[in-house]
Formats: sequence, structure tokens, C-alpha cells
Amino acid sequence: MAIEIPKTTYTGKIKEIKLGKDEKAVVVGGESCYPFYLFEGEMPHLPRIAMEVYDSPPEEWPEAALEPFAGITDDPAAWARKCIDDYGAEMLCLQLASTDPNGLDRGAKEAAEVVKKVADAVDVPLIVWGTANHDKDVEVFRKVTEVCHGKNLIIGPVEEGDHKQLGAAAIGYQHTVAASTPIDINLAKQLNILLGNLGVPDELIVMDPTVSGIGYGIEYAYSVMERMRMAALTQQDDKLQFPIICNIAKEVWKAKEAQISEKDDPTMGDAKKRGVLLEAMSAMCLLIAGADVLIMRHPEAIKLVKDMMAELTAA
Amino acid sequence: MTGKKKLKVHFKPDNVEIVVDQGENLLQAAIAAGVRIYASCGGAGTCGTCKVQIEEGEVETTRTDKISDQEFSKGIRQACQSRVLSDLSVYVPVESRLEKAVLAREQKQVSEVLATGWRFVPPLTKYFVELPSPTLDDNTSDLSRLLRGLRQRYRLSNLSIDFHVVQKLASTLRDGNWKATVTTLVTAVKPRAGDRRRPRVINIEAGDTRDKHHSLAFDIGTTTVCGQLLDLNRGRVVAESMAYNGQISYGEDVITRIAYCQKTGGLKKLQQAVVATINGIIEELQAQSKVDAERIGHLMVAGNTTMTQILLGLNPQHLRLTPYTPVANFFPPVPASSLGIKAGDHAQIFLFPAVASYVGGDIVSGIVGAGVHQRKVLTFFMDIGTNGEIVIGNSDWMVTASCSAGPAFEGGGIKHGIIAAEGAIEDVEINPSNYEPKVGTIGSVKPKGICGSGLINAVAELLATGVIGQNGKFNQNLPTKRVRPSADGYEYVLAWAKETQTGSDIVITEVDIDNLMRAKAAMYAGCKTLSKSVGIGGCDFDQVVIAGAFGSNIDVKRAITIGLLPDLPEERFIFIGNGALLGARLTSFSTDLLDDARRVAQMMTNLELSENVDFMNNYVAALFLPHTNAEEFPTVSKRLASKSNNNPKERIKV
Repeated sequence: MAIEIPKTTYTGKIKEIKLGKDEKAVVVGGESCYPFYLFEGEMPHLPRIAMEVYDSPPEEWPEAALEPFAGITDDPAAWARKCIDDYGAEMLCLQLASTDPNGLDRGAKEAAEVVKKVADAVDVPLIVWGTANHDKDVEVFRKVTEVCHGKNLIIGPVEEGDHKQLGAAAIGYQHTVAASTPIDINLAKQLNILLGNLGVPDELIVMDPTVSGIGYGIEYAYSVMERMRMAALTQQDDKLQFPIICNIAKEVWKAKEAQISEKDDPTMGDAKKRGVLLEAMSAMCLLIAGADVLIMRHPEAIKLVKDMMAELTAA
Repeated sequence: MTGKKKLKVHFKPDNVEIVVDQGENLLQAAIAAGVRIYASCGGAGTCGTCKVQIEEGEVETTRTDKISDQEFSKGIRQACQSRVLSDLSVYVPVESRLEKAVLAREQKQVSEVLATGWRFVPPLTKYFVELPSPTLDDNTSDLSRLLRGLRQRYRLSNLSIDFHVVQKLASTLRDGNWKATVTTLVTAVKPRAGDRRRPRVINIEAGDTRDKHHSLAFDIGTTTVCGQLLDLNRGRVVAESMAYNGQISYGEDVITRIAYCQKTGGLKKLQQAVVATINGIIEELQAQSKVDAERIGHLMVAGNTTMTQILLGLNPQHLRLTPYTPVANFFPPVPASSLGIKAGDHAQIFLFPAVASYVGGDIVSGIVGAGVHQRKVLTFFMDIGTNGEIVIGNSDWMVTASCSAGPAFEGGGIKHGIIAAEGAIEDVEINPSNYEPKVGTIGSVKPKGICGSGLINAVAELLATGVIGQNGKFNQNLPTKRVRPSADGYEYVLAWAKETQTGSDIVITEVDIDNLMRAKAAMYAGCKTLSKSVGIGGCDFDQVVIAGAFGSNIDVKRAITIGLLPDLPEERFIFIGNGALLGARLTSFSTDLLDDARRVAQMMTNLELSENVDFMNNYVAALFLPHTNAEEFPTVSKRLASKSNNNPKERIKV
């Protein structure tokens, strides 16, 4: 007797959002089933990986993370090109770390020049990530969105505290917002409603649920993302039907387990292998929870994740 | 005692004076002098409600950030943080005063007796007997003679007799020339369990006193105490009075009070404070009705678990410690005199049975008064007081929970919040075109603050006119001077200084809105969690019964707008006013309902929300106006949507 496998009935669909401009623009979202449940529905657009570029030479990266970008970390545009030319990046994420008021505190004008330079040097979709300091981000993004008018950057994190200013800037200069909330499904939904009230059209919104790496509470992120997808796909919650973006590289590589060298703790084993695997495994968890865009760092970790995706989607 | 210097403190405008030791706390001095000062934090120095002005003399003060430089230079100090150093003249400003008169304001006539089908059989009963005088042929004891008379005339048997009745039996019978009136009292039984009622003889009076047959019903609230004098012959209220619970000066909420009880002598002080309040009300009732308090044989008291335990002198410390255990849920009758309550020597106090640490006899009383236990229809009962308790159920089952809503509904934790008293802003309307408010106050006088229902109305209006967003934050780009930045974030000016009693602007701050949102979110999340725990999906109740003196002043539509009440047709909401007092009155009239109260307390299942994951999730979802899930508030969402479609561009400014 044949066994009938029970199937989930989906009533909703994730919105399809176009990121970037022109030829190299990508579309994310569009899922009508849980992540990789291709036997139940469709994933018309595979999740995308954006490679990280920093606007200033990173100070606390372990050797393994720096090595692929040796010699170009002081030139964001060159770094960006290398990601595309050597590592096949289909998206980029420029981290504006130098604008942090607790760090270099680089000014808005200077930051905008860097963004413009990178944006002009590449044609793939560009995510620009601030420091989550509301006052500073508002100042920086006012400038950034203006000088990159029409380039459809993805700007983030857009939080409740600065959503009005950043949302308005995004509408005014035609960019997409990454609506960022602290690991809570209700807060995520609330921010999406507020952005809607402000007049930000649905086509310009992706969600950042705030994630962490393995060993640092990834279970929370996983379960919140999973619930977002359940609400979006099975409960027709249209305020949660947005693609999810996960800023995971930073979280993984700052962990002790990725940072410590083999010399300092021989029991931890090869540092590079460790860091790469930690990043790849964390990213994989998030993909299975529903990520549509992953911000990643190490080319080898990215390759592992891509291979895995290919296997999961093989006919 | 010690050789401390004695000093005189004069309080204005009451014009009372008290002599205290040097170094005495000024708030304590005020309490001792009978000057009623509002101290919501119980003297911890954190609330800033007990501000007084030192006109003459010297105090030593621990200054906190509740006193601005300007105030400090004017001699304004927090009473609780000040110690008396010299003779003083102290002015208690209007906003710090607890005024009694304001309580007397007419409550909306909402008390509906919803309980039905009960017989008028008060638990306290009087029987008049004429006994044959003893002779040598019939020289049985006085007591046997009395019992025989009661059996023959009223078929009363199975009686128990209080010893003090025996003590005065011989003289009373002879004084009345063998005519006497006996008072009996019965307690609740479980009728279906076959319990037999055993009347207890608690008093005997010479002659026929049946026409003087009275009892008292009390609601002991955390904030206010209400009492009614009842005529048990006619089944009606003879007199009614209210007062602030004297414990207020020791803290506004139950947690602060419980904490106070842990201080040496603290429990005793609080017990005496509430007994003094009760005695004050009894005196007032006596004066109104000319009924001698000595004639009162019975008091029916409904209070939350903390108030009940403090009244009985039972340390409430375990109520606030996990796993939150009360001393007892059912209490035997307690002689009033043993607590210092001034009623008849024979008077007995019945306390409504409690359900759990934070669901007390007041809720049981409200449920019985509202007749929730008598009907099949699905009822949502909420009592909005200093704490918010909710019950869902019908005649077959009930679940209950306490949602620590906090004192926002009573004006606590609100910058210009006050108790619903004269001068409190109660009604607010905001003109959507120029954002100008129209405010109405209790007593139609100049405003001195805003009360809980005023706050609900104000926030609903601010939301409906787009002055605040759904997250409760101000829209900073509006063409009005009323929205302005301040030290606590943005605020909205409800009344300019020149229009108020206090001489300062009355505002609503973002922090106030946040506090109200937390309070309403706790109530609504409690409702959702409770309804889900019994497998009801949404909040589609057949009726919603709202109790609490505060509750009777709520504007239903606006309360729905902010997401405090579920979005149901207005006709499903029923206000019963003070539910606890209603239940206490009805059970004084009907032994049937007294039995019901016992049954209700037993049938209620308490759900502890403090550690409930589902509750936390529902709570965050409810921390939005009206709610994160717009579909739960369809009519509000529709209204708000039509509003935001009108001017979407106006608010977008880079």
C-alpha cells in the first residue's frame, strides 16, 4: 500500500524584490514553500551571497580571513573588484565600519565618497551597512543615498529608532531598506508596518532579523526566522512576506572559536579550516531557516555553501 | 526615650501642626499629622509625587533627579527624602495632595445586578422568641429553654452557640422579660456535596430588635476602600462611602506594600492603616444612616489576596516570591473586634475566598456579582484596578490570570498622572486639522493632571490624528507647537501653564505613552494567552464584563482604538462598576450566592503568566497601536488606514 506523505498547504508567497540596477541586478524571494522544500512548492530564485568589503583595513580579523584579500584591504574599490573578478561575487556588502563614533568616526561626506567609488567600480547589487548608531547612520546615509541616487543600494540596518529618516531617504533616492530588528518576530512585523505607514513601498523592503553564529545563540535566530516563514507562507501574514537578509560573517569571525590561532590553543586545530567551517555551517543553518541573502566573508566558506545549495536543489 | 529635640511642623493649607523628634522623616510626620500626601513609591524617593514646599525652617534632604534646579531653589523637596531639622512651615501643593472629596464624585450609574435566580436569604438572620418563664416544674437551663423555643417556633436545630452569648444569656433573657432576639450566622457550604448548614448563634438581645438588622459590605482595594451599610430586612443599601486606603502613603502598589511589611513593625502599621480607613468609613456610614454600629453583626469583605492577608495580619511575603503561595484561600469567619474594627462585639467578618496570590477575593466577588458563573455564554471578565485581573469562562469552567499591568491606568508612572479625582483630565478630543486639543476634567475645573481614562482617550486621539505613530512615537514634523522635544523625548502639551491649576504645562510624554502601551499590552496579551490556553482561537466573546471603578469611565471605542479591549461590537461590553463591592453586597443578601462564591473560587484555574513564554510573545505583539496583527482589530485598522491614505506624502521629509 502506498504511503501518502502529508504536505503543508501554503497560502502565501514571499515577495519578489529586485536588488541592484541594470544587467547585474538580482531578484530574491518569491518562495512558495519552506526553504528547500521543493517537493511542496517553488523557490524561483536561489538565495544570494554578498561578499563583505570594509571601508577601512579591518583590525581584528584573524589571519585566515585576511589572507584572501591580502594587499588590497586599504582600497575598498579594489577589494570589491577582487571579490567579483577572482571570487565570482554576485553581490557585495560594504561595511562602513570607519564611521563608528566609537572608532575612527569618519565623517558622512568621506563615507559617501567611498561608497560612490565602490558603487561606480562595480555593477553587482551593493549593500551598504552602517554602525547602528542612529544619529550617525542618519547623517551618513543622507549623504550616501544622495550621491548614489538611483543605484538601488540596499541600506541597513534600518531600525525603529531611525526608520523615518532612513526610510525617507530610501524613498527619495530610490534605494532598498534592510529593516533590522532584535530577534523578535513581532518587532520585525511592527517595523515593516511602520515603514509601510511612512510610505516605503513593499518592493523596497527586505528584513534583517539579527542573527548570530553557531555557539552564540543561532537557535534563537533560527526559530524566529522559521516562525516568520510560517506566518508568511501559511498564515498569509503579508507584513512578514519579505526576503530575509542575514549579516552573518561579522558574527562568526569575531567569535573566539574563529579568532584563536592554533598556536595559542593547539586543541582547537587548524585555524583556517575552523573559521571557514564555522562560517559555512552558520550560513547553512540560516539558509535552512529561510535566509534569502547572506553576507559572507571567506571565499572558501562561500564555495562550500554554494555547493551545498546546488546539492539541495539538484533535480 | 532619647533626648532628641522636639520640633513643631506646621502643614498648609490643612493648617495642622505636629510635634516630632528632630530628624524625623517629613513624610512620616505628615502621615502622623493626618495630612494626606501622595507617595506612590512608598517613600523610596523614586516617584517624585510627594513634593512639598518648605516655607520656613530647615530640612536635610537627599536630593534626587526628581527635583529640578528651579524647584530646589524655590524650597521644593521630596517629603520622603527630607528630615526635619528645625521648626517648619510646609506647604503641600495641590498635585501632591490626596483629596477625599474627589472620591465622592458621582460614579456613573453602571452597577448592574447581573446575577439572577438567587433567593433573598441573608446569611445573617434574626429570630425573635417569647419564652415561658422558668418555674419549679420547668427549671431547665436558660440555654435549653432558648434552644427549645427556637426549635418550636422556627424549627431551628443543629445550632452552635458562641460562648459570649452564653455569658450574657441569663441577664439578657431576664432583662427582656423572656422576650429576646437571637442573631444567627451561616457560612458557605457545598450544597451538592450534601453538607449541612449549621447556624451559629452569635448574639442575643433583649426584646424584639428585628427591625434593626444591618450588615456591611466592603471592597478593600489597593487604592480605595468602599463600604456600604445594608438593611437586611429590606435588602437595600442604606448608606455608602469611600476613602483612599490609608496604606497609600506607604506605597502605591501591592508589591511596595508587601515589601513594606518586611520592615520591622511594617505589617502592623499597614494593618492599622487599613483598619483605620475601614473604621472611618463605618463612622461615616453611621452618621449618614443613624444606625448604631453596635447593631452590625456581619461584614462581607472582598479584597485582593494581599489586601486580605494584610487586613488579617498575615505576612504577605510569600505572595511575591516564586512560587507565589498565599497563606490560605478560604478563611473562617473572623471576629471584627479581634482586628480592631468598630462594629458590634459579636460581629463576624467573612472574607471572600481567593484563587491565587494575584487573583483574590475581589475577583471571585466580581464574578459572582456579575453572574458569570450562572450563564452558558462565553464571558470575558476584566477588573481594571492597580492590577489587572482577567477571567474567561462560563457556568462550567473558568480560567483566570493576573496581568501585571502596573499603575498606569490609575495615573501611576505617568508624568502628570493623578488618580481619577477633581481636576483630572478625563476627556480629550484632538482636532485633526490643527492638532489642538479640547480637554474635559472631572468636576469641570482647571486641570491639574491626567487620570488613566484620560490617558487612554488622549492616546487614542493622538493615534487617530496621526500625532503619534503605531509605535507610540511622536511625529516630529507636524505644524504645531504642542509637540515639542523635552528631557524625556518628545511630548504633547495638553494644557498650557496658564490654563492649569498647577501653573505648569500638562503634557503627555513618550515615556507615558510607553507605560500605557505596556499596561494595555499586558491586559490584552493576558486575554490572548488565557483564551489560547483553553483552546479558543481569538477573542470573540459573547460578552465582556468590565469591573473596576476605573472601568466604568472607559470610553469603549477609544479603548479598542489603542488595543486595550478586543475589537467587538460595543453592545457586548457591560460595565458593572465596582464588581467586588457588588458581589459583597449580593452575598450579604443571599446565602445561595455565598455558596456560589465558594464554588467559583474552587472552579477557577489560575494561569501564572509571569513565566509563560506564550504570554511574552503576545505581549510584544500587543506593544503596538492597536496591535501588531492588524486583523485582530479590523475596525480600528480600517479607520487608521483611511487616515494614512489621506496624506502619505506629507510625512515624508528627508
